[in-house]
Amino acid sequence: MLTVTGLTKRYGATLAADRVSVSIEPGSFVGVIGRSGAGKSTLLRMINRLVDPSEGSIAFAGVDVSAVRGRELRAWRRRCAMIFQQFNLVGRLDVLTNVMMGRLGHMAGWRAMSRLWHPEDRLIALAALERMDIGGLAAQRADQLSGGQQQRVAICRALVQEPDIILADEPVASLDPRNTKVVMDELHRINRQFGITVLCNLHSLDLAHAYCDRLVGMAQGRVVFDDVPAALTEGVARDLYGLEAAEVLGGHPAPAPHGFAHADAQAATQIA
Amino acid sequence: MGRLSSQLASADVGHLAAAYDRAMAARRARTMLAAIALVLAILLAGIAAEVRPAVLFTHIGNFGSYFDAILKLDSGARVWTSPADWFWNLATWLRLMAETVLIAYVGTLAGGAAAFVLSFVASRNLTRSAMLRGATKRLLEFSRTVPELVFALIFVVAFGLGPVPGVLAIAVHTMGTLGKLFAEVIENIDAKPLEGVAAAGGSWLHRVRFAALPQVLSNFASYGLLRFEINVRGAAVIGFVGAGGIGQTLLEAIRKFYYSDVSALLVLMILTVMMIDYGTEKLRHRMLGESAR
Amino acid sequence: MSGARDGRSALRTAFVDGREAIMARHPAQFRPDWRARAGRVALAAAVLGLFGFGVVQLGFTPAMLAKGAGRLAFITGLMLPPNPETWSRTVLYLHALGQTLGIALLGTLGAAVLAFPMGFLAARNVVASRALQLLTRRMFDTVRGVDTLIWALIWINVVGLGPFAGVMAIMTSDFASLGKLFSEAIEAVDRRAVDGVLAAGGSRPQAVRFGIIPQVLPVMASQLLYFFESNTRAATIIGIVGAGGIGLYLSEMIRTLEWQQVSFLVVMLLVTVSAIDWISARLRHAVIGARPI
Repeated sequence: MLTVTGLTKRYGATLAADRVSVSIEPGSFVGVIGRSGAGKSTLLRMINRLVDPSEGSIAFAGVDVSAVRGRELRAWRRRCAMIFQQFNLVGRLDVLTNVMMGRLGHMAGWRAMSRLWHPEDRLIALAALERMDIGGLAAQRADQLSGGQQQRVAICRALVQEPDIILADEPVASLDPRNTKVVMDELHRINRQFGITVLCNLHSLDLAHAYCDRLVGMAQGRVVFDDVPAALTEGVARDLYGLEAAEVLGGHPAPAPHGFAHADAQAATQIA
Repeated sequence: MGRLSSQLASADVGHLAAAYDRAMAARRARTMLAAIALVLAILLAGIAAEVRPAVLFTHIGNFGSYFDAILKLDSGARVWTSPADWFWNLATWLRLMAETVLIAYVGTLAGGAAAFVLSFVASRNLTRSAMLRGATKRLLEFSRTVPELVFALIFVVAFGLGPVPGVLAIAVHTMGTLGKLFAEVIENIDAKPLEGVAAAGGSWLHRVRFAALPQVLSNFASYGLLRFEINVRGAAVIGFVGAGGIGQTLLEAIRKFYYSDVSALLVLMILTVMMIDYGTEKLRHRMLGESAR
Repeated sequence: MSGARDGRSALRTAFVDGREAIMARHPAQFRPDWRARAGRVALAAAVLGLFGFGVVQLGFTPAMLAKGAGRLAFITGLMLPPNPETWSRTVLYLHALGQTLGIALLGTLGAAVLAFPMGFLAARNVVASRALQLLTRRMFDTVRGVDTLIWALIWINVVGLGPFAGVMAIMTSDFASLGKLFSEAIEAVDRRAVDGVLAAGGSRPQAVRFGIIPQVLPVMASQLLYFFESNTRAATIIGIVGAGGIGLYLSEMIRTLEWQQVSFLVVMLLVTVSAIDWISARLRHAVIGARPI
């Protein structure tokens, strides 16, 4: 269980996040929605501790991680993987090394610095790449890949961390519809197959409806909605998105999650 | 043609011309002011630096005759008529020239290594502590502002005569100059990979090794080679203060009027510098080409 | 929590199942690339080996380093606090500092005046004669290969000891560097402006005047300011060989071990250089900002 209590982030006089309190059940797929600048990204970055909260606490499995530093901070980041809108790969390194970044928390220091990866780590990384259909690209430089391929590499990097949670910050905002579906399906599959919690910022309501078990709506740094997707009526959505409402509501029809009917998904959760 | 211009001129452009003149006048006034300031500065500088054009005119002949003199052997013949006499001490000079290049090499590598480490500490995007960063930046600034010859003078007192103080002086100065350039390169890298590695649980060293280093390495190497080139020139004169290399011998030759030795040493020096320039340029092109692929 | 643990082991099993198959599909990833690795190791060994050779050859020993470092710390202690002792000395130093600045200013400007026409001679897009270009370039390289300090020694022979020799030395060595940079700036100009003037019936000199010069002037001014900055540093050491400025006192005080005066001079130098850097950064910004290139 990830519990965020009264989380606040101030940048000078502006409040990027204002007393945010949410609890995330293990194994759930939670979407964070709201217009740009509502504080979704700040929330996820605070949970991974890329941004230090001004106030409030983040607790995981009863342990407070909002102020951990050094080794403990790295251990926490290892357990909560992050996927970015811009992929954040190291363009000049090959794909395999990029995926290996997710294994840093699992290996001895000298191995990392000399890039003498353990065969076991290689195996895990390659298995993850094959799972995403990009095993053949292992030796390519990351900046030569298309956006969709790069995001798949980023997902592999997150996956090989063997995390408890994956935080996805607008993972599909830079992708075309086909890759959007591939990436969202994979997040869904990871969630159902391994029981890894996914907390995903989404701009598109259609995607939020299609993939999430629960939605958290944010506006001006505050949580203003927290319920199952079905409870999100058009009126609520209009309030949430304001001027952007037309753009989010009138969008493309939602792609159905691939390979999982909703009932199957539920069953999978119960097994896990 | 004539009709066209007369037609153009007959149009009422009087006010436009006036506006143009006004704009030009304002610009001209600014330029005049700057010119006056510059002339004043030159006059002041001329007095301070004891510029004596008369001396220059009466003695300019010495400049020519000096080169005439250094291109003559003791026998009075031109130096190139007898290369063996010209380069009579070639073995010693080559050894000294090699020592000079070695001083530059060791100094550049040691200073470059120090700059490498410090530059990451001095970069805003990798070091959070403003104190640590500021202290490192001040240290780099100090070691690049004090000329290496001044370091050499002080080090000669501390370490004794010989190449050791020369190497140390070059290393300290190189640390300052390269450290600044390196830190600028690092501060301009793409921040996203840094975030990516950090978010996956990477340590500070991991971020440096995997996110920063791949982005900066080719630039670092290129700057390092350029610095090596500059340091070879520097090492050639660091012997003036007794800090090793060929400089000491050259100084003696000039002071004691061993004319043909002066030209021989200068030729050796220029050839060495040109060769090293050529070599490093080739290397840099190859490296830049490689990273572009 | 236990669910997550199970999930993780499921993840691990899912990955490592079919290990043989994965290894078979990616043989290259599991075959250590000895050739690439050996190449890197050999390069590192060569670089470090030469470094080690240099360290030994140049006479570094741990004992001497330790002793020298101790003495250096002792000297640094003696330097504090910086103190010129008497007012008359302070005045003397300030005068020398003024002289240093004068040398830098006149040297840079003189070099620019000489380099300006030479830069055109060496530019591929202005002078048609390839031979003339190559000759000019070779001359630049030769003059650049000789350090400012050596030029100072030569000029002392011509105009005597004192700051004037320093001005001439900076002028000589910088005119080559500036000439090279100017010619590169000229070659980088936008051709269209030149074509425009030629197409309108202008002569070649007119094309240079109105097509090239307006484009290169700001670049040259900015380079000139950089050179003035670096020449301030160069002018401080030129006094070490007797060519005027503050370097004379600096080397004298170091030789007579007047450490508090040394540190006073170094502080003066640091302040001056920082001030010049600041002013010239301002000016550069004004020059480039006013006329975007």
